[in-house]
Amino acid sequence: MPAPLIPAFVRGELRTAGPVESAAGFAAPDPLGLLDTLPLRDPARMAELQSVPLTEIIDLLGEVGARLSVPDNPFLAEALDQLAAYSDLTPALLRSTYRQLPSLFEPGLVRSVAERTVGTRFLDGWADVGAGAVRAFGSRCVHIIAGNNPIIAAITIVRSAITRCDTIIKSPSNDPLTALAIARTIAETAPGHPLTRHLSVVYWKGGDERFERALYHPAQVEKIVAWGGLASVQHVTRYIRPGLELVPLDPKLSATVIGAQAFADAASMAATARLAAADVGVLNQEGCFNARVIYVVTGTGPAGVALANRWGQLLYDAVQALPEQVSTPARRFDPDLRADLRVLRADTDFYRVIGGRADEGAVVVSQLPDPVDFHQTLSGRVANVVPVDDVADAVRAMNAYTQTVGVYPESLKRQLRDTAPLYGAQRLVSLGYATRFRADLPQDAMEPTRRMVKWIVDETYHPELTHPLEHLRPGSGRREADQEAEVAR
Amino acid sequence: MTSDEDLLTFAGNPIEYFGHSRLAMHTLAPRRLAELQLAALKLRFAALRDRIPILRTLAEEQGIDEIRSLDDAAPLLFPHTVYKSYPARLLVDNRFDRLTTWLSRLVTVDLSGLDTTGCASIDGWLDLIDASTELRLAHSSGTTGTMSFIPHSAVEYDRLYEIVRLDVIPDRDPEGVDVVWPSFRSGRSGIARHATAMAEQIAGHPDRFHTLHPGLLSADVMFLAGRLRAAAARGELDRVEISPAMRQRRAEFEDALHATGRGMGEFVERLADTLRGRRVASLSTWDVFHGMAGAGAARGLRELFAPDSVVFPGGGSKAGVLPDDWARGVAGFFGVPQLQLVYAMVEVISLNLLCENAGYHLEPWLIFYLLDPGTGLPLPRTGTRTGRAAFLDLTAEIHWGGFVSGDEVTVTWDPCPCGRTTPRLGTRIGRFGGTRGDDKITCAATTEALGEALEFLNGALV
Repeated sequence: MPAPLIPAFVRGELRTAGPVESAAGFAAPDPLGLLDTLPLRDPARMAELQSVPLTEIIDLLGEVGARLSVPDNPFLAEALDQLAAYSDLTPALLRSTYRQLPSLFEPGLVRSVAERTVGTRFLDGWADVGAGAVRAFGSRCVHIIAGNNPIIAAITIVRSAITRCDTIIKSPSNDPLTALAIARTIAETAPGHPLTRHLSVVYWKGGDERFERALYHPAQVEKIVAWGGLASVQHVTRYIRPGLELVPLDPKLSATVIGAQAFADAASMAATARLAAADVGVLNQEGCFNARVIYVVTGTGPAGVALANRWGQLLYDAVQALPEQVSTPARRFDPDLRADLRVLRADTDFYRVIGGRADEGAVVVSQLPDPVDFHQTLSGRVANVVPVDDVADAVRAMNAYTQTVGVYPESLKRQLRDTAPLYGAQRLVSLGYATRFRADLPQDAMEPTRRMVKWIVDETYHPELTHPLEHLRPGSGRREADQEAEVAR
Repeated sequence: MTSDEDLLTFAGNPIEYFGHSRLAMHTLAPRRLAELQLAALKLRFAALRDRIPILRTLAEEQGIDEIRSLDDAAPLLFPHTVYKSYPARLLVDNRFDRLTTWLSRLVTVDLSGLDTTGCASIDGWLDLIDASTELRLAHSSGTTGTMSFIPHSAVEYDRLYEIVRLDVIPDRDPEGVDVVWPSFRSGRSGIARHATAMAEQIAGHPDRFHTLHPGLLSADVMFLAGRLRAAAARGELDRVEISPAMRQRRAEFEDALHATGRGMGEFVERLADTLRGRRVASLSTWDVFHGMAGAGAARGLRELFAPDSVVFPGGGSKAGVLPDDWARGVAGFFGVPQLQLVYAMVEVISLNLLCENAGYHLEPWLIFYLLDPGTGLPLPRTGTRTGRAAFLDLTAEIHWGGFVSGDEVTVTWDPCPCGRTTPRLGTRIGRFGGTRGDDKITCAATTEALGEALEFLNGALV
């Protein structure tokens, strides 16, 4: 059987010529054959996009969102049908993530994303900053997106539209379909619209040197937004130079800290186990925001460890009780992790393994206050519960690779938020809500959307008010700025 | 039928079983070899199942009571993490009592009487075990901040070198040959363990064992090196504490740093002065030999030894680190027409030799499993296939010899044009598990890691 062909979407056109088979099992057009129209070589062509009012963009995205319901959208239905062959998520989970897509394009949310991540006054023309103006211009941007969650494709398209970027999305091999289906929906909703003409979705094998050398040049691409950290960034870094900026969204791991209050009584233990189960199990622990190592302040003496073991069992039960549209046993359970669990199960001195015999997920309770050696590879709904005496022990385990920290109770979160960031933590969130993604907030301790735009400045001076050399005189700066600002008003 | 006694000889003392013949070891009919291996496997499993707690639990978990085919043992092959399935904290806190209990689950040796009260370092603990038991633990390079301890016995190393003698001293000359050992004289890392056996069995006399450094390759330094490297990668270097015991060993570290740095030049000069033109045997990793040849070239030293010298490079190399023609440079330095490449790993006591058809032939006492990397299940034992290498070492008597490596290999089961009938691995050997933190248990990166740790230590101790 020939490999299914996944077309490229280049500026509103579907391209299928010269298919090349990928290791993942689908065929996609040879990217070299797309180079004629894929990069935007003439920067003047950005003008048509910059002149589209933000309201029009938001309305258009709203229209697109309304069409992103699987039953009514053949592009999306086809993508969902085929995606199961490449994704690590089960069909049930893919269906439920696809159901989230329309809400990401909802006008109220999009406006709030534009407001909070960039500022609409900078996006809709020149914003007065006193004796001058600032405007956020779209840039020519390549997005190397991750495929562990289909909503990453949608978020990327929304961010690109509100910033008026010329956008090339490099599809990942584990989701070559979602961005494509959304792009086709945009083209159908607004054929020939500048947003359509400045959007491309292409699959190529990351690191394809012939193609990447031809694409990544400051005359064609100004920014590369790369999800997926070292592996995807490694071969991009060689093209980075003045004029071509890298915005890395590294894969991080998350931690969970649960204070002593959670273990005060049976009801609190059960409630916190249910909350933690959501952080562990939603999206099958495929996300960087999912909980893996969970520090519990139970104490490390025999009584504390016994408490941690009991809570571990509650957590295991709660993960297993998650509904199918939210969490399922892994599609492909990591065989190394399976072997690791077997070993730990055989050696009960240091670890207690709850479940995991049928690849359904497991909870490993450390009997000493240390995570398992392989904690970075926890997946398929396997969590490691680590008893500690003090919250400070958990904070010390955080580093630059700590993305989300799920915390219970709120009082502990308020205490941690001033110290955990010093160690590297980037996001603190109430226990149970780690897997929510808010597109209107900073991400990975920075603001990727803000970095997608080019901040252009227009400064205004008048020789009759400000001598060209005035600023060189001591103490002159304040007075001259005041005068010019007065005139500007 | 083969008697149990014969099978035990095959599994435990293959050199005797095959009548001291390397040819005989590798020319059994494949079907006959499989029969022998299965029979020996059944014996080993029956003997070890209830004496090695981890094996017993694994077998119970999998519901395996008896072995009827070679593949029946596939679920019992240990992952590499079994040898480091203790919290690293035990080493930092000198909890060698608990570490001993952990170790006792992996071996048949009774360790209940081992008094670790006085142990204040890994070296001290390993000393104690060497001195009071038949165990010879081999430790990993510790590059990820944890350290594996792989249980072997003194007898296993002795037997290995009896076999190596067949390759190096075919006429069984009791005199032995000069051994060039471009490393520390002693130690307990995977490769350092070979030093003792090589000195005794190949060199025959301490004076004929020529080493880069006369001292010990310290497990404590390597563990600290790994921790420092892991901490540096996480941006946590300031959080690593160096114990007073380590601080007191500063002079030793400076000396060792010198040896790993400029020492190689002095070593090759010493070899040129004392051994030029003599027949030697040498074993090390590709990168060390490459460095040695480089130090020789810088001093105009070439074709230093007799052409019938035996040079065993093993351990592979990190991609791109060595030039493609490294082997020619090493052969030119030693003055041998070609090197005797070996495929070896710390977990499995054997040196599998490369044949003239570029195949690493696996010793007959190793049951080879090729596993599907996605499922971990064994692939059929036919034709030529690529997958994950796993082994069951039938010579293992005090521990379980089943082990899943991280190596991606291509195996050919059909007999080789070279005449050998044992399965062979192609020379393209990759690594699985880029995301898992590569703690490859060879010493390929050891020199560098050691140098880094020593520099840091010496800096911190000023």
